[in-house]
Amino acid sequence: MSNAAPVITAWSLHLPGIDLSPALTERFGLSADLAGQPAVPAERAAEVLGRKGMLYKEPATRLALCAVHRAFAVPAGKRPGFAPSPGTAVVVASNLGNVEAVARVTRTVQAEGGSAVSVLDAPNASSNIIASTIALWFGFGAANLMVCSGTGAGFDGLELSLLLLRAGRADRVVLVGAEPDDPVATELYAGSGRLRAGAACLVLEQPAAGERRLSVQLSDGPGLPDLTVGPGGDFDPARQWGEFYGAQDVIALALAAELAVAGQHGTVGVRSTGRPRQAVLSPGGGP
Amino acid sequence: MPALIAASAIRTCFGNGAATFDALLRGASGVVPLRHGDPARLHVSYGYHAEGSDPERPFLAGELLADCLSEAAGQAGLDPSGKRVAVLVGTGLRELSAVERWVLGEPVFDPERLHFGDLVRRALPGVREVVTISNACSASGHALALAQDLVELGEADAVLACGADTMTRSMLAMIGRVAPVPTEQVHPFDADRTGVLLGDGAAAVVVVPASWSGPVLGRLAATGLSCDAHHETAPDVEGISRSMRDAFARAGRNPAEVDLVVAHGTGTALNDAAESEALRKVLLGAGADPLVTGVKGATGHTSGSASLVNLDVALRCLAGGVVPPITGLRTVLAEGDGLRFVAGEPAALQPELVQVNAFGFGGVNAVTLLEAA
Repeated sequence: MSNAAPVITAWSLHLPGIDLSPALTERFGLSADLAGQPAVPAERAAEVLGRKGMLYKEPATRLALCAVHRAFAVPAGKRPGFAPSPGTAVVVASNLGNVEAVARVTRTVQAEGGSAVSVLDAPNASSNIIASTIALWFGFGAANLMVCSGTGAGFDGLELSLLLLRAGRADRVVLVGAEPDDPVATELYAGSGRLRAGAACLVLEQPAAGERRLSVQLSDGPGLPDLTVGPGGDFDPARQWGEFYGAQDVIALALAAELAVAGQHGTVGVRSTGRPRQAVLSPGGGP
Repeated sequence: MPALIAASAIRTCFGNGAATFDALLRGASGVVPLRHGDPARLHVSYGYHAEGSDPERPFLAGELLADCLSEAAGQAGLDPSGKRVAVLVGTGLRELSAVERWVLGEPVFDPERLHFGDLVRRALPGVREVVTISNACSASGHALALAQDLVELGEADAVLACGADTMTRSMLAMIGRVAPVPTEQVHPFDADRTGVLLGDGAAAVVVVPASWSGPVLGRLAATGLSCDAHHETAPDVEGISRSMRDAFARAGRNPAEVDLVVAHGTGTALNDAAESEALRKVLLGAGADPLVTGVKGATGHTSGSASLVNLDVALRCLAGGVVPPITGLRTVLAEGDGLRFVAGEPAALQPELVQVNAFGFGGVNAVTLLEAA
């Protein structure tokens, strides 16, 4: 167990159909290809991930895989080919990732009976499909958590990621947020807002190695850095682009990391979309 | 410093924890004709429905969970106000049956009702964090692991680790799709097992630090976690074994010390073989000779609640010095050779270290070690 602040060693955004300029490029000095944007939509995920293994992968799973693929800088179209990593945990925040699959199976049973259901859809009936697929795809064998706690799920995911590191359950945590915008998810969310499809990934580690050191700490106090991302902050992805629901806070965190390092804005704060919580990302962190 | 269990409450097809344990000792099965969805269309004829509840009642998982939360908090004498109390809810299927009802014509609902945050805050006013962790059939084991971490790191005064799951049509359809013949009864670790059936269930345990001055049911040595990263649905002996070894390493205990296993035992071809092999490798290989019991022949597979249902049974074994038999076990599977499964009659045993297993879809594994307080 360690008391030093964990560090973010890599991050990515995968936000299909979203033009990051001029909102970010002009105002915050980020380059137009920020964190690997532009991103392909879920149906073109094979361009990033390669063609094998895409069958029966739900849109949120594809977007999540794309985000992790980008965070680890795997070449486009290639499988990662990583050695198994029993010390790497996966934490995913998503609320609507498998509702389309659940609806599809329900309609098929109703219309044609259970024999018409594909067994290949079986993993999608379980809500943890995104987290377990990331583990399988990249060989991450430590704790695997699927956080489905609604608005603010991403921040819950951050807190659990930090807990896994503090408790010595992992030496590296891959935190992912992902939501789809399929018709079922969109209609279910319509009463709350306009749902956008997107994913983001942060890689958190104990402060030992890691070239791009960016410490992350939870903050209780009222004082946040001059630049903040999230509700009421200097840049609110939800107001600018639409709502990513369970993925929202992870997207804000990845964006904050980009602002802090690539944008050279120094310390950047992140506010959760759920209950009031905040995090502070500081370049040059760690021991 | 190990964490303590101050209280435990469960709901199964038999009712509460005492009723469930009594039924297990009698070798009873709670299996009944399926009353969720259309059994003919689903190709699933039987299930284990929560005692006293309408299986089609909307948001039933949350109702069962609320009952457990109130019972566990009351049992522990825990008042969350003014304390740092967190609630971690493990679930496999959340309230996804609401999505299915909506698809079949009922009005749309707030997606925030898919998780258990609002419900928990109403049931236990004053709690701080409430997080729903959707980790398939080992979800509540994961909640228990994280609860212990929070308590041991001094980040919470108490944590309620919970589980809640009721049936969904989509998961029933998958069970019906893969079973060669419809299963009539779960037969864990049986040579002629025919597959799994679902059971409604919920659970809540109160995890507290060693400084706790209230009632204590048992001591949590550790929970080990792992992910197979091997196959989307099929279990992996190596992945399962890693979660067991993780538990022993975290607890600083030796596998040879285990004298009782409350196994996952789902009655499926793959789980029971892989679990038996892992138990032989990790426990028997270290010189242990534990009794092995399991509940799913009696309760069905309570999915996200299963780990804490097992834990409640383990606590009662510790308290009473008697281990219930595995309902539905007739002839032990070949892979279980050398393991002492409890079958037919209860066994007298005052266990000192109990291992509780839970494994889930996607290769998510949680293994808990528990001992007397």
